Amino acid sequence: MDYIELAEKLVKKSISLGADAAEVFLETNRNLSIGVLKSEIETIEEASSHGAGFRVFVGNKMGFSHCNDLSDRSLEDTVSRAIAFAKLSSPDENNVLTDDIGVTAAKDLYDKSIAAEPMEKKIRMALDLEKLAMKDPRITKSAGAGYGEGESEVFIANSNGILKSYKSSGCSLGVSVVAEKGDQKNTGSEYCSRVFFKDLVSLEGIAALASQRAWELLDPVMINTQKASVLFDPDVARSLLGGIITAVNGERVLQGASFLKDHLNKQFASSLLSITDDGTKQKSLGSAPFDGEGVPTMKNILVQNGILKSFIYNTKTAKRAGVRSTGNASRGGFSSLPGIGTHNIYLEPGKHTGKEIIAATKKGLLLKEVTGYGIDAVSGNFSGGASGFWILNGEIAFPVKGVTIAGKAFDILNGIDMMGNDIDMNRTFAAPIFRVAEMQIGGK
Amino acid sequence: MEKQTVRDIPRRKFLEMSMKSGLLIAATPALMSRLVSCREGVNASSGMDMDKETLSKIITKALEKGGDFADVYLENRISRQIVMEESIFKSGLYGISQGAGVRVISGNKTGYAYTDEITEEKLMRAAEVASYVAHNGNKTIPVNISETSCPSFVTVKQPLCEIADEKRIDIIKRADQAVKDYDPRIRMAMVDYNDEIRGRVIATSEGIYLRDELPLLFFIVQAMSDDGKTRHMARERISYHSGFEMFEKVTPETVARNAAREAIAMLAAEDAPAGIMDVVMQNGWGGVLVHEAVGHPLEADNIAKEIGTFTGKLGKKVASDCFTMVDDGTLPGFRGTINHDDEGTEAKRNILIENGVLKGFMTDILSAKQLSMERTGNGRRESFRYIPIPRMTNTFIDAGKDKPEDILSSTKKGIYVQSLSGGSVNPVTGVFNFTCREAYMIENGKKTKPIKGATLIGSCMDIISNIDAVGNDLDFGVGICGKGQAAEVSAGQPTVRIRGINVGGSKG
Repeated sequence: MDYIELAEKLVKKSISLGADAAEVFLETNRNLSIGVLKSEIETIEEASSHGAGFRVFVGNKMGFSHCNDLSDRSLEDTVSRAIAFAKLSSPDENNVLTDDIGVTAAKDLYDKSIAAEPMEKKIRMALDLEKLAMKDPRITKSAGAGYGEGESEVFIANSNGILKSYKSSGCSLGVSVVAEKGDQKNTGSEYCSRVFFKDLVSLEGIAALASQRAWELLDPVMINTQKASVLFDPDVARSLLGGIITAVNGERVLQGASFLKDHLNKQFASSLLSITDDGTKQKSLGSAPFDGEGVPTMKNILVQNGILKSFIYNTKTAKRAGVRSTGNASRGGFSSLPGIGTHNIYLEPGKHTGKEIIAATKKGLLLKEVTGYGIDAVSGNFSGGASGFWILNGEIAFPVKGVTIAGKAFDILNGIDMMGNDIDMNRTFAAPIFRVAEMQIGGK
Repeated sequence: MEKQTVRDIPRRKFLEMSMKSGLLIAATPALMSRLVSCREGVNASSGMDMDKETLSKIITKALEKGGDFADVYLENRISRQIVMEESIFKSGLYGISQGAGVRVISGNKTGYAYTDEITEEKLMRAAEVASYVAHNGNKTIPVNISETSCPSFVTVKQPLCEIADEKRIDIIKRADQAVKDYDPRIRMAMVDYNDEIRGRVIATSEGIYLRDELPLLFFIVQAMSDDGKTRHMARERISYHSGFEMFEKVTPETVARNAAREAIAMLAAEDAPAGIMDVVMQNGWGGVLVHEAVGHPLEADNIAKEIGTFTGKLGKKVASDCFTMVDDGTLPGFRGTINHDDEGTEAKRNILIENGVLKGFMTDILSAKQLSMERTGNGRRESFRYIPIPRMTNTFIDAGKDKPEDILSSTKKGIYVQSLSGGSVNPVTGVFNFTCREAYMIENGKKTKPIKGATLIGSCMDIISNIDAVGNDLDFGVGICGKGQAAEVSAGQPTVRIRGINVGGSKG
């Protein structure tokens, strides 16, 4: 099927059926997932699929519909549904489509060799990964290992003359194991996701990390309720920064539903905190030449030295705010309207090694796991469950489990007093280790 | 390890109303056929009418290389979503999603392939792909499929497909207005209306052949308050397998005012304390706690893998004497009610823990076979894009004998939790966390000042041993459960007291 031709045809069709403006989003996908358990195949799932989403405007009233039956009759019916819905909706002068014909040179987003690699090899990799993760005698059980891959092609056309498409791919390997000792039980997992098959890291590396995470927190000690330094490991940085991402969402800001709404161009956090969102990065799972409605992606500095520099927008919310779209329209596939989301977000690394930060800590908690929702983007409150290691006089003393950490976002973010220098930029959410001078910890 | 999440909201009087609608069960078959006859638009020709012979052919093809079991699942879902934010319609969405999958089980292995084109050619190809896992397996001769009947626990008076969109819009506007009218400190209402009709066809190598349709309504109102100093986003949700008459039983104004009440009440919230304390959980919503902390670990997939928290504990005392927990997919009209699961097993009332003794797990076909246990009707799937796995339906702590007011008055100091945002659990270790949405201090047996969203953490085994009071006021709430794939569920409990939970406040 020629999807480019189809997308163009469907824009015209929408206009002829009564829309004043229209956007067509087409998507094709292919997925494979392999799960193994106890050295045996557990599941193999394979599929390919496609679908279409229609965003249509009648005047400045908007309607949306989607279907995955791409027959002429179904497509026409679905477009008509969107138009009928638009007529019932309320007018909004911000309902506009992009006319930006640019695309960003985000390179190497598709690896055609993924599909060509034999199935047997992929199954073997998952089986070997599980075996390697079970090697340590402290690991008693496997919770499974897996390999997954996907490819997708996206086509966007609109009545402002936009017609864009791109292909992307991804593959991943992961494993989860259990360590037991007496009545104690602990799980550990690790995965690796890449755009290119050959860039997947060694099975040994993934296995060793999963295994270590499972056994390293055995024999924990319960600490007293107290205030102490808290060190955020790169794996748990998201628990604190996820709330910031939600709070810089331009729509939340316009609605007054963000604790950062009044802080643009103001210092709201420690000068060690700088956050960038980059949709243009080469070979990255979060990159794309254009966003979910066709606006070219960019590299946006959100926070610089603790000063809030920018909110993130799609076309509609940018118009409402009187600014330009930042290329952050995100789409959960053809069946969803463009929302607002980030691409590859990272914290600017600082000066210190992880070891230096631990050595500089008299009394503190090195976080390895944080549970809960993180910072509440509306109120700016933070509370979570935590486990990790207790640090005493600059050294790791013992594992800690079943404690809580809490505070107000402004206090915590202003309290960042050491920033690490080691960062894994392959993650779509990348951060080095960093330290918050003091937080409330809840224990016995 | 995958984490599992439910977001939940209080729903008062839920049980009572649904029991009333239960009286209409006798009328169901006629109503269901009426529903079937009013399919919309092009969907009558979507392939859902695939005949028995073709389905049999596909099953035979799936088992050609061997295997113990095969099934074909066809699905068609018509959904609507209308969202109003800040009193403006943000979006109106209409969607049609259809597709089919073929699964083969061979020993412990599962092969699965799906297609969004429901044609014989595509499904024969899917059967071939799914059979990949079975190349060394047993040979099974499929049983001829024949129409299977199954009781329905869902009644419909006003079919969704007969409702004009104007009516939906009116419901949304009424909720928006009621939120705004509640208090001048309400800054914004967000109203999210969802309905869908999900048609299923299930044909299995054991001869099952089921066709049905389930309507589902899901209505969410959020209210944001702002007094210039602080803000709070509150939420209330209702959901039933029902026709549009749901809004006569629970008006949009009721839902809206409940959200607005919470938004205003929490403006006065103070920092929560940190440390271990007693927790009283109000009836209804709090069922999410057992759903997460106990329900997920009782799903049989991790038990079959011998890694679950409850592995090896069947028949043993695992909880307080006052603790009985049930999963019931047959509660009339409830959000988690399924009639039969997505593998064709009839829904049942399954007692999981009775007076503290572990009685059973929730199984799908595969885990029931692996554990040599009964099929409990818990094999559910989000859509044709996923394989069925053991999932909860309507899960609850059964009512006890204590009066809720006595539970509160006999608690000297602690936290009274009225609603939770949701939580998650690691089903292997049983370690869970929940975030409070609306909570109060308990001082000398009385609910006092509101406190800010604190996290509650603990482990499954501790919590069910530390429940020392169970009220007589069972009530339910609704949510979306995530376990790699989504499932609509309800969760319930009477007022309960749990001794010694770790509370994550910011005040030392």
